[in-house]
Amino acid sequence: MSKSDAGILWILLLIFIIAGCAHSPRGESSPPVQGQALTDAPGKTAFMTVMPVSDAAVTPQEPSAQKDDPFHDEYVDDEDDARDLHKDEKVSIADPIEPFNRAMFLFNDKMYFWVLKPAATGYNAVVPEPGRIGVKHFFDHLGYPARVLSCLFQADVKGAAEETGRFVINTLWGLGGFLDPAAGESLNLQKQDTDLGQTLGVYGVGHGFFIMWPVYGPSSPRDSLTIVGDHFLYAPSYIDPWYARFGVWSYEKINSASLRIGDYESLKAAAIDPYIAMRDAYIQYRMQAVKARKEKSLLFKYSAGAGQKE
Amino acid sequence: MKKWFTIGSVLIFFVLAFSCHAAGPLATAETAVGKVIDVLRDPQLKSPASKEAKKDKLRIIYKDMFDEIEFSRRTLTRNWNKFTPDQRREFVDLFEQVLEKAYLDKIFDYSDEKIEFYKENMVSDKQAEILSKIVTSSKEIPIFYRMILKDGKWKVYDVVVENVSLVQNYRTQFNDILASSTPEQLLEILRKRVKEH
Repeated sequence: MSKSDAGILWILLLIFIIAGCAHSPRGESSPPVQGQALTDAPGKTAFMTVMPVSDAAVTPQEPSAQKDDPFHDEYVDDEDDARDLHKDEKVSIADPIEPFNRAMFLFNDKMYFWVLKPAATGYNAVVPEPGRIGVKHFFDHLGYPARVLSCLFQADVKGAAEETGRFVINTLWGLGGFLDPAAGESLNLQKQDTDLGQTLGVYGVGHGFFIMWPVYGPSSPRDSLTIVGDHFLYAPSYIDPWYARFGVWSYEKINSASLRIGDYESLKAAAIDPYIAMRDAYIQYRMQAVKARKEKSLLFKYSAGAGQKE
Repeated sequence: MKKWFTIGSVLIFFVLAFSCHAAGPLATAETAVGKVIDVLRDPQLKSPASKEAKKDKLRIIYKDMFDEIEFSRRTLTRNWNKFTPDQRREFVDLFEQVLEKAYLDKIFDYSDEKIEFYKENMVSDKQAEILSKIVTSSKEIPIFYRMILKDGKWKVYDVVVENVSLVQNYRTQFNDILASSTPEQLLEILRKRVKEH
Protein backbone atom coordinates (compact mmCIF):
# COMPACT_ATOMS: atom_id res chain seq x y z
CA MET A 1 0.00 0.00 0.00
CA SER A 2 1.46 3.32 -1.04
CA LYS A 3 1.56 6.45 1.00
CA SER A 4 -1.27 8.06 -0.93
CA ASP A 5 -3.43 4.98 -0.30
CA ALA A 6 -2.93 5.43 3.42
CA GLY A 7 -3.87 9.08 3.04
CA ILE A 8 -7.06 8.21 1.22
CA LEU A 9 -7.84 5.68 3.92
CA TRP A 10 -7.51 8.33 6.60
CA ILE A 11 -9.78 10.68 4.70
CA LEU A 12 -12.30 7.88 4.25
CA LEU A 13 -12.02 7.17 7.94
CA LEU A 14 -12.80 10.77 8.79
CA ILE A 15 -15.79 10.76 6.46
CA PHE A 16 -17.08 7.63 8.13
CA ILE A 17 -16.72 9.11 11.57
CA ILE A 18 -18.52 12.22 10.52
CA ALA A 19 -21.23 10.29 8.74
CA GLY A 20 -21.59 7.99 11.68
CA CYS A 21 -22.05 10.89 14.02
CA ALA A 22 -24.38 12.73 11.75
CA HIS A 23 -26.68 9.76 11.89
CA SER A 24 -26.33 9.25 15.57
CA PRO A 25 -29.77 9.41 17.10
CA ARG A 26 -29.44 12.79 18.72
CA GLY A 27 -32.83 14.35 19.12
CA GLU A 28 -33.07 16.36 15.93
CA SER A 29 -36.10 18.37 16.88
CA SER A 30 -35.40 18.71 20.56
CA PRO A 31 -34.45 22.27 21.42
CA PRO A 32 -30.76 22.74 20.67
CA VAL A 33 -28.82 22.77 23.86
CA GLN A 34 -25.82 24.93 23.21
CA GLY A 35 -22.55 24.61 24.95
CA GLN A 36 -23.54 21.30 26.43
CA ALA A 37 -23.92 19.70 23.05
CA LEU A 38 -20.34 20.46 22.19
CA THR A 39 -18.94 18.85 25.26
CA ASP A 40 -21.14 15.83 25.76
CA ALA A 41 -20.82 14.33 22.31
CA PRO A 42 -17.22 13.36 21.62
CA GLY A 43 -17.93 12.65 17.96
CA LYS A 44 -19.34 16.08 17.42
CA THR A 45 -16.32 17.73 18.98
CA ALA A 46 -14.04 15.88 16.62
CA PHE A 47 -16.21 16.96 13.76
CA MET A 48 -16.11 20.57 14.87
CA THR A 49 -12.36 20.72 15.17
CA VAL A 50 -11.47 18.83 12.03
CA MET A 51 -13.93 20.16 9.53
CA PRO A 52 -14.53 23.74 8.48
CA VAL A 53 -17.98 24.19 9.87
CA SER A 54 -20.78 24.74 7.41
CA ASP A 55 -23.25 27.22 8.85
CA ALA A 56 -26.43 25.35 8.05
CA ALA A 57 -25.33 22.23 9.84
CA VAL A 58 -24.46 23.53 13.27
CA THR A 59 -25.80 26.99 13.77
CA PRO A 60 -28.47 26.69 16.44
CA GLN A 61 -31.80 27.95 15.24
CA GLU A 62 -32.76 29.73 18.43
CA PRO A 63 -29.98 31.42 20.27
CA SER A 64 -32.19 32.65 23.12
CA ALA A 65 -30.88 31.49 26.47
CA GLN A 66 -34.35 31.05 27.90
CA LYS A 67 -35.19 28.39 25.37
CA ASP A 68 -32.63 26.11 26.94
CA ASP A 69 -34.40 26.15 30.23
CA PRO A 70 -37.03 23.41 30.25
CA PHE A 71 -38.86 25.23 33.02
CA HIS A 72 -39.57 28.09 30.63
CA ASP A 73 -40.79 25.73 27.97
CA GLU A 74 -44.54 26.02 27.64
CA TYR A 75 -46.65 22.94 27.29
CA VAL A 76 -48.11 22.76 23.80
CA ASP A 77 -50.99 20.45 23.14
CA ASP A 78 -50.23 19.66 19.53
CA GLU A 79 -46.60 19.05 20.21
CA ASP A 80 -47.51 16.59 22.88
CA ASP A 81 -50.13 14.84 20.83
CA ALA A 82 -47.55 14.20 18.18
CA ARG A 83 -45.14 12.89 20.75
CA ASP A 84 -47.59 11.04 22.89
CA LEU A 85 -47.83 7.55 21.54
CA HIS A 86 -50.48 6.62 24.02
CA LYS A 87 -52.94 9.41 23.52
CA ASP A 88 -55.74 6.92 22.97
CA GLU A 89 -55.24 5.94 26.57
CA LYS A 90 -56.40 9.21 28.00
CA VAL A 91 -59.16 7.42 29.76
CA SER A 92 -61.57 8.83 32.22
CA ILE A 93 -64.88 7.86 33.77
CA ALA A 94 -67.89 9.80 34.91
CA ASP A 95 -68.28 9.91 38.65
CA PRO A 96 -71.71 11.37 39.44
CA ILE A 97 -72.01 9.63 42.81
CA GLU A 98 -68.58 10.66 44.03
CA PRO A 99 -69.68 11.50 47.61
CA PHE A 100 -71.17 8.01 48.01
CA ASN A 101 -68.11 6.44 46.41
CA ARG A 102 -65.73 8.33 48.65
CA ALA A 103 -67.70 7.20 51.70
CA MET A 104 -67.48 3.59 50.50
CA PHE A 105 -63.78 4.04 49.82
CA LEU A 106 -63.34 5.08 53.41
CA PHE A 107 -65.45 2.14 54.59
CA ASN A 108 -63.35 -0.32 52.55
CA ASP A 109 -60.20 1.32 53.81
CA LYS A 110 -61.26 0.70 57.41
CA MET A 111 -62.42 -2.81 56.58
CA TYR A 112 -59.00 -3.52 55.13
CA PHE A 113 -56.96 -2.16 58.02
CA TRP A 114 -59.23 -3.31 60.85
CA VAL A 115 -60.49 -6.68 59.60
CA LEU A 116 -58.97 -8.07 56.44
CA LYS A 117 -55.33 -7.19 57.01
CA PRO A 118 -55.08 -8.46 60.60
CA ALA A 119 -56.83 -11.69 59.59
CA ALA A 120 -54.60 -12.14 56.55
CA THR A 121 -51.46 -11.35 58.53
CA GLY A 122 -52.34 -13.92 61.17
CA TYR A 123 -53.18 -16.44 58.51
CA ASN A 124 -49.89 -15.63 56.79
CA ALA A 125 -48.00 -16.59 59.93
CA VAL A 126 -49.70 -19.98 60.11
CA VAL A 127 -49.87 -21.10 56.49
CA PRO A 128 -46.70 -20.95 54.39
CA GLU A 129 -46.84 -19.27 51.00
CA PRO A 130 -46.96 -22.44 48.83
CA GLY A 131 -50.04 -23.53 50.76
CA ARG A 132 -51.73 -20.19 50.21
CA ILE A 133 -50.90 -20.25 46.53
CA GLY A 134 -52.42 -23.75 46.38
CA VAL A 135 -55.62 -22.48 47.97
CA LYS A 136 -55.71 -19.61 45.49
CA HIS A 137 -55.32 -22.08 42.63
CA PHE A 138 -58.18 -24.11 44.04
CA PHE A 139 -60.57 -21.16 44.15
CA ASP A 140 -59.40 -20.03 40.72
CA HIS A 141 -60.13 -23.53 39.52
CA LEU A 142 -63.73 -23.22 40.67
CA GLY A 143 -64.03 -20.03 38.62
CA TYR A 144 -63.74 -22.08 35.44
CA PRO A 145 -67.44 -21.92 34.41
CA ALA A 146 -67.50 -18.12 34.47
CA ARG A 147 -64.25 -17.86 32.52
CA VAL A 148 -65.09 -20.44 29.85
CA LEU A 149 -68.51 -18.87 29.28
CA SER A 150 -66.90 -15.44 28.98
CA CYS A 151 -64.44 -16.82 26.43
CA LEU A 152 -67.26 -18.36 24.41
CA PHE A 153 -69.37 -15.20 24.53
CA GLN A 154 -66.34 -13.26 23.30
CA ALA A 155 -65.79 -15.70 20.41
CA ASP A 156 -62.41 -16.62 21.83
CA VAL A 157 -62.52 -20.32 20.95
CA LYS A 158 -58.86 -20.88 21.66
CA GLY A 159 -59.21 -19.37 25.13
CA ALA A 160 -62.24 -21.54 25.87
CA ALA A 161 -60.33 -24.64 24.72
CA GLU A 162 -57.32 -23.71 26.86
CA GLU A 163 -59.55 -23.16 29.89
CA THR A 164 -61.22 -26.53 29.38
CA GLY A 165 -57.88 -28.24 28.94
CA ARG A 166 -56.64 -26.62 32.13
CA PHE A 167 -59.74 -27.67 34.01
CA VAL A 168 -59.38 -31.33 33.03
CA ILE A 169 -55.62 -31.48 33.61
CA ASN A 170 -55.64 -29.64 36.92
CA THR A 171 -58.59 -31.67 38.22
CA LEU A 172 -56.88 -34.96 37.41
CA TRP A 173 -53.21 -34.20 37.96
CA GLY A 174 -53.33 -31.07 40.06
CA LEU A 175 -54.94 -32.63 43.16
CA GLY A 176 -58.34 -31.30 42.19
CA GLY A 177 -57.08 -27.80 41.42
CA PHE A 178 -54.60 -27.11 44.23
CA LEU A 179 -51.70 -27.35 41.83
CA ASP A 180 -51.49 -25.80 38.41
CA PRO A 181 -49.50 -28.22 36.23
CA ALA A 182 -51.34 -27.00 33.12
CA ALA A 183 -49.61 -23.61 33.31
CA GLY A 184 -46.19 -25.30 33.31
CA GLU A 185 -43.77 -24.83 30.47
CA SER A 186 -44.56 -28.10 28.70
CA LEU A 187 -48.31 -27.51 28.44
CA ASN A 188 -48.44 -23.74 28.76
CA LEU A 189 -52.20 -23.48 29.19
CA GLN A 190 -52.55 -20.16 30.98
CA LYS A 191 -55.57 -19.06 32.94
CA GLN A 192 -57.67 -16.71 30.81
CA ASP A 193 -57.94 -13.43 32.63
CA THR A 194 -61.53 -12.69 31.77
CA ASP A 195 -64.97 -12.17 33.20
CA LEU A 196 -68.45 -11.11 32.17
CA GLY A 197 -67.84 -7.38 32.55
CA GLN A 198 -65.04 -7.65 30.01
CA THR A 199 -67.37 -9.57 27.70
CA LEU A 200 -69.70 -6.58 27.54
CA GLY A 201 -66.65 -4.36 27.10
CA VAL A 202 -65.52 -6.40 24.10
CA TYR A 203 -68.91 -5.72 22.47
CA GLY A 204 -68.44 -2.01 23.00
CA VAL A 205 -70.48 -1.47 26.15
CA GLY A 206 -68.96 1.36 28.14
CA HIS A 207 -68.51 1.55 31.88
CA GLY A 208 -71.27 4.07 32.42
CA PHE A 209 -70.02 5.56 35.64
CA PHE A 210 -67.88 4.65 38.58
CA ILE A 211 -69.20 2.74 41.57
CA MET A 212 -67.24 1.89 44.67
CA TRP A 213 -69.00 -1.10 46.16
CA PRO A 214 -68.51 -1.85 49.82
CA VAL A 215 -66.27 -4.95 50.15
CA TYR A 216 -66.13 -5.64 46.38
CA GLY A 217 -64.32 -2.42 45.65
CA PRO A 218 -64.06 -0.43 42.41
CA SER A 219 -66.59 -1.23 39.71
CA SER A 220 -69.12 0.21 37.29
CA PRO A 221 -72.64 -0.79 36.23
CA ARG A 222 -71.09 -2.81 33.41
CA ASP A 223 -68.49 -4.54 35.54
CA SER A 224 -71.02 -5.25 38.25
CA LEU A 225 -72.32 -7.95 35.94
CA THR A 226 -69.15 -9.81 36.90
CA ILE A 227 -70.21 -9.81 40.53
CA VAL A 228 -73.66 -11.14 39.61
CA GLY A 229 -72.29 -13.68 37.14
CA ASP A 230 -69.67 -14.88 39.56
CA HIS A 231 -72.41 -15.44 42.05
CA PHE A 232 -74.41 -17.74 39.80
CA LEU A 233 -71.51 -19.44 38.04
CA TYR A 234 -69.38 -20.07 41.09
CA ALA A 235 -69.87 -23.36 42.92
CA PRO A 236 -69.26 -22.05 46.46
CA SER A 237 -72.30 -19.76 46.06
CA TYR A 238 -74.51 -22.83 46.33
CA ILE A 239 -73.14 -24.00 49.66
CA ASP A 240 -75.85 -24.50 52.22
CA PRO A 241 -76.36 -23.32 55.00
CA TRP A 242 -75.56 -19.64 54.56
CA TYR A 243 -72.98 -19.40 57.33
CA ALA A 244 -70.90 -22.15 55.74
CA ARG A 245 -71.11 -20.23 52.48
CA PHE A 246 -70.06 -17.06 54.28
CA GLY A 247 -67.19 -18.95 55.91
CA VAL A 248 -65.88 -20.19 52.57
CA TRP A 249 -66.31 -16.76 51.02
CA SER A 250 -64.42 -15.05 53.85
CA TYR A 251 -61.70 -17.65 53.73
CA GLU A 252 -61.21 -17.03 50.03
CA LYS A 253 -61.00 -13.26 50.62
CA ILE A 254 -58.49 -13.68 53.42
CA ASN A 255 -56.40 -16.11 51.42
CA SER A 256 -56.20 -13.87 48.38
CA ALA A 257 -55.51 -10.83 50.56
CA SER A 258 -52.68 -12.70 52.28
CA LEU A 259 -50.87 -12.90 48.96
CA ARG A 260 -51.31 -9.18 48.30
CA ILE A 261 -50.57 -7.56 51.64
CA GLY A 262 -48.83 -4.30 50.95
CA ASP A 263 -50.32 -3.61 47.52
CA TYR A 264 -53.05 -1.36 48.82
CA GLU A 265 -50.65 0.34 51.23
CA SER A 266 -48.30 1.16 48.35
CA LEU A 267 -51.10 2.60 46.29
CA LYS A 268 -52.14 4.75 49.21
CA ALA A 269 -48.60 5.83 50.01
CA ALA A 270 -47.85 6.89 46.44
CA ALA A 271 -51.12 8.69 45.80
CA ILE A 272 -51.85 12.34 46.34
CA ASP A 273 -55.57 11.54 46.37
CA PRO A 274 -55.89 7.78 47.00
CA TYR A 275 -59.53 7.63 45.91
CA ILE A 276 -58.81 9.17 42.51
CA ALA A 277 -55.66 7.07 42.20
CA MET A 278 -57.64 3.88 42.74
CA ARG A 279 -60.43 4.93 40.39
CA ASP A 280 -57.96 5.73 37.64
CA ALA A 281 -55.93 2.56 38.17
CA TYR A 282 -59.10 0.50 37.97
CA ILE A 283 -60.23 2.14 34.73
CA GLN A 284 -56.80 1.84 33.11
CA TYR A 285 -56.52 -1.78 34.14
CA ARG A 286 -59.97 -2.71 32.86
CA MET A 287 -59.46 -0.86 29.59
CA GLN A 288 -56.26 -2.74 28.86
CA ALA A 289 -57.93 -6.02 29.80
CA VAL A 290 -60.80 -5.43 27.37
CA LYS A 291 -58.31 -4.43 24.66
CA ALA A 292 -56.37 -7.65 25.23
CA ARG A 293 -59.57 -9.70 25.06
CA LYS A 294 -60.62 -8.00 21.83
CA GLU A 295 -57.38 -9.06 20.22
CA LYS A 296 -58.21 -12.67 21.06
CA SER A 297 -61.78 -12.58 19.83
CA LEU A 298 -62.46 -14.05 16.41
CA LEU A 299 -65.02 -11.32 15.79
CA PHE A 300 -62.86 -8.33 16.67
CA LYS A 301 -59.31 -9.56 16.13
CA TYR A 302 -59.01 -7.94 12.73
CA SER A 303 -60.88 -4.74 13.37
CA ALA A 304 -59.31 -4.07 16.76
CA GLY A 305 -55.68 -4.00 15.73
CA ALA A 306 -56.20 -3.21 12.04
CA GLY A 307 -54.33 0.06 12.26
CA GLN A 308 -51.31 -1.29 14.05
CA LYS A 309 -51.04 -4.94 13.15
CA GLU A 310 -47.46 -6.20 13.47
CA MET B 1 3.98 -1.96 9.32
CA LYS B 2 1.56 -0.62 6.74
CA LYS B 3 -0.68 -3.58 7.43
CA TRP B 4 -0.80 -2.68 11.10
CA PHE B 5 -1.52 0.88 10.18
CA THR B 6 -4.50 -0.22 8.10
CA ILE B 7 -5.86 -2.56 10.78
CA GLY B 8 -5.37 0.13 13.39
CA SER B 9 -7.27 2.64 11.31
CA VAL B 10 -10.15 0.27 10.82
CA LEU B 11 -10.26 -0.46 14.54
CA ILE B 12 -10.25 3.22 15.41
CA PHE B 13 -13.04 3.72 12.91
CA PHE B 14 -15.19 1.08 14.57
CA VAL B 15 -14.53 2.33 18.06
CA LEU B 16 -15.38 5.90 17.14
CA ALA B 17 -18.37 4.93 15.03
CA PHE B 18 -19.93 2.96 17.83
CA SER B 19 -19.19 5.43 20.56
CA CYS B 20 -21.06 8.00 18.49
CA HIS B 21 -24.29 6.04 18.76
CA ALA B 22 -26.26 6.11 21.96
CA ALA B 23 -27.11 2.76 23.48
CA GLY B 24 -30.57 1.53 22.44
CA PRO B 25 -33.52 2.05 24.77
CA LEU B 26 -33.78 -1.57 25.86
CA ALA B 27 -30.08 -1.75 26.67
CA THR B 28 -30.29 1.56 28.54
CA ALA B 29 -33.22 0.46 30.69
CA GLU B 30 -31.77 -2.98 31.31
CA THR B 31 -28.39 -1.57 32.33
CA ALA B 32 -29.99 0.91 34.74
CA VAL B 33 -32.16 -1.75 36.36
CA GLY B 34 -29.12 -4.03 36.52
CA LYS B 35 -27.23 -1.32 38.39
CA VAL B 36 -30.11 -0.97 40.86
CA ILE B 37 -30.04 -4.70 41.54
CA ASP B 38 -26.28 -4.63 42.01
CA VAL B 39 -26.70 -2.01 44.71
CA LEU B 40 -29.49 -4.00 46.38
CA ARG B 41 -27.39 -7.16 46.34
CA ASP B 42 -24.18 -5.49 47.47
CA PRO B 43 -23.15 -7.44 50.61
CA GLN B 44 -21.36 -4.36 51.96
CA LEU B 45 -24.64 -2.47 51.98
CA LYS B 46 -26.75 -5.21 53.54
CA SER B 47 -26.81 -3.87 57.09
CA PRO B 48 -29.72 -1.59 58.05
CA ALA B 49 -27.20 1.11 58.99
CA SER B 50 -26.13 1.51 55.39
CA LYS B 51 -29.65 2.21 54.21
CA GLU B 52 -28.90 5.85 53.61
CA ALA B 53 -25.75 5.02 51.64
CA LYS B 54 -27.83 2.65 49.57
CA LYS B 55 -30.43 5.34 48.95
CA ASP B 56 -27.74 7.75 47.81
CA LYS B 57 -26.42 5.23 45.32
CA LEU B 58 -29.90 4.49 43.99
CA ARG B 59 -30.65 8.18 43.68
CA ILE B 60 -27.72 8.63 41.30
CA ILE B 61 -28.96 5.76 39.15
CA TYR B 62 -32.54 6.88 38.82
CA LYS B 63 -31.61 10.51 38.24
CA ASP B 64 -29.69 9.26 35.27
CA MET B 65 -32.46 6.91 34.19
CA PHE B 66 -35.52 9.17 34.47
CA ASP B 67 -36.39 12.44 32.83
CA GLU B 68 -38.18 14.01 35.77
CA ILE B 69 -39.10 17.20 33.91
CA GLU B 70 -40.72 15.25 31.11
CA PHE B 71 -42.48 13.16 33.76
CA SER B 72 -43.87 16.26 35.49
CA ARG B 73 -44.89 17.95 32.25
CA ARG B 74 -46.79 14.91 31.12
CA THR B 75 -48.65 14.56 34.40
CA LEU B 76 -49.63 18.22 34.41
CA THR B 77 -50.27 18.56 30.63
CA ARG B 78 -52.07 21.86 29.99
CA ASN B 79 -51.91 22.73 33.67
CA TRP B 80 -48.13 23.05 33.29
CA ASN B 81 -48.73 26.44 31.67
CA LYS B 82 -50.57 27.72 34.73
CA PHE B 83 -47.38 27.34 36.76
CA THR B 84 -44.68 30.00 36.73
CA PRO B 85 -41.16 28.75 35.95
CA ASP B 86 -40.30 28.88 39.64
CA GLN B 87 -43.43 26.95 40.57
CA ARG B 88 -42.57 24.40 37.92
CA ARG B 89 -39.12 23.95 39.36
CA GLU B 90 -40.55 23.43 42.81
CA PHE B 91 -43.21 21.07 41.50
CA VAL B 92 -40.65 18.86 39.76
CA ASP B 93 -38.58 18.79 42.91
CA LEU B 94 -41.48 18.00 45.26
CA PHE B 95 -43.01 15.44 42.95
CA GLU B 96 -39.68 13.67 42.75
CA GLN B 97 -39.50 13.52 46.53
CA VAL B 98 -43.05 12.16 46.77
CA LEU B 99 -42.19 9.43 44.30
CA GLU B 100 -38.94 8.65 46.03
CA LYS B 101 -40.69 8.26 49.36
CA ALA B 102 -43.36 6.02 47.92
CA TYR B 103 -41.20 3.75 45.83
CA LEU B 104 -37.71 3.64 47.27
CA ASP B 105 -38.68 1.59 50.30
CA LYS B 106 -40.65 -0.65 48.01
CA ILE B 107 -37.51 -1.34 46.00
CA PHE B 108 -35.76 -2.56 49.15
CA ASP B 109 -38.29 -5.40 49.33
CA TYR B 110 -36.64 -6.89 46.29
CA SER B 111 -35.48 -10.40 47.03
CA ASP B 112 -33.88 -11.99 44.01
CA GLU B 113 -36.99 -12.12 41.84
CA LYS B 114 -36.14 -12.65 38.22
CA ILE B 115 -36.44 -9.56 36.02
CA GLU B 116 -36.71 -10.13 32.30
CA PHE B 117 -36.47 -7.52 29.60
CA TYR B 118 -38.02 -9.12 26.58
CA LYS B 119 -39.18 -6.60 24.00
CA GLU B 120 -38.42 -3.21 22.53
CA ASN B 121 -41.24 -1.49 20.67
CA MET B 122 -39.93 1.43 18.68
CA VAL B 123 -42.83 3.81 18.33
CA SER B 124 -40.82 6.41 16.45
CA ASP B 125 -37.16 7.33 16.12
CA LYS B 126 -37.34 9.01 19.47
CA GLN B 127 -39.89 7.04 21.42
CA ALA B 128 -39.87 3.49 22.58
CA GLU B 129 -41.68 1.18 24.93
CA ILE B 130 -39.60 -1.45 26.69
CA LEU B 131 -41.43 -4.48 28.00
CA SER B 132 -40.16 -6.27 31.07
CA LYS B 133 -41.59 -8.49 33.75
CA ILE B 134 -40.83 -9.47 37.31
CA VAL B 135 -41.36 -13.15 37.93
CA THR B 136 -42.34 -14.00 41.51
CA SER B 137 -43.34 -17.32 43.01
CA SER B 138 -47.04 -16.68 42.56
CA LYS B 139 -47.29 -14.36 39.57
CA GLU B 140 -45.69 -12.34 36.82
CA ILE B 141 -45.84 -8.56 37.09
CA PRO B 142 -45.52 -6.76 33.74
CA ILE B 143 -43.55 -3.53 33.90
CA PHE B 144 -43.21 -1.34 30.82
CA TYR B 145 -40.84 1.58 30.51
CA ARG B 146 -41.79 4.36 28.12
CA MET B 147 -38.69 6.12 26.92
CA ILE B 148 -37.80 9.19 24.97
CA LEU B 149 -34.57 10.10 23.21
CA LYS B 150 -33.22 13.43 24.36
CA ASP B 151 -29.78 14.79 23.57
CA GLY B 152 -28.61 11.39 22.45
CA LYS B 153 -29.71 9.60 25.58
CA TRP B 154 -32.72 7.41 26.24
CA LYS B 155 -34.62 8.47 29.31
CA VAL B 156 -37.66 6.98 31.00
CA TYR B 157 -40.70 9.27 31.17
CA ASP B 158 -43.39 6.80 32.24
CA VAL B 159 -43.56 3.46 33.98
CA VAL B 160 -46.52 1.19 33.37
CA VAL B 161 -47.04 -1.37 36.12
CA GLU B 162 -49.64 -4.06 35.46
CA ASN B 163 -51.10 -1.96 32.65
CA VAL B 164 -51.49 1.10 34.86
CA SER B 165 -49.50 4.07 33.65
CA LEU B 166 -48.03 6.15 36.46
CA VAL B 167 -48.14 9.34 34.43
CA GLN B 168 -51.78 8.79 33.55
CA ASN B 169 -52.62 7.98 37.16
CA TYR B 170 -51.04 11.16 38.50
CA ARG B 171 -52.48 13.16 35.61
CA THR B 172 -55.99 12.22 36.72
CA GLN B 173 -55.22 13.14 40.32
CA PHE B 174 -53.62 16.50 39.50
CA ASN B 175 -56.37 17.33 37.03
CA ASP B 176 -58.94 16.67 39.71
CA ILE B 177 -57.11 18.79 42.27
CA LEU B 178 -56.35 21.65 39.86
CA ALA B 179 -59.95 21.77 38.69
CA SER B 180 -60.77 23.44 41.99
CA SER B 181 -57.41 24.61 43.33
CA THR B 182 -54.60 26.90 42.27
CA PRO B 183 -51.07 25.69 41.46
CA GLU B 184 -49.95 27.18 44.77
CA GLN B 185 -52.48 25.06 46.65
CA LEU B 186 -51.31 21.92 44.86
CA LEU B 187 -47.72 22.76 45.78
CA GLU B 188 -48.83 23.16 49.39
CA ILE B 189 -50.40 19.69 49.34
CA LEU B 190 -47.17 18.26 47.97
CA ARG B 191 -45.07 20.13 50.52
CA LYS B 192 -47.16 18.62 53.30
CA ARG B 193 -46.76 15.16 51.77
CA VAL B 194 -43.01 15.46 51.68
CA LYS B 195 -42.89 16.63 55.29
CA GLU B 196 -45.01 13.72 56.57
CA HIS B 197 -43.38 10.83 58.44
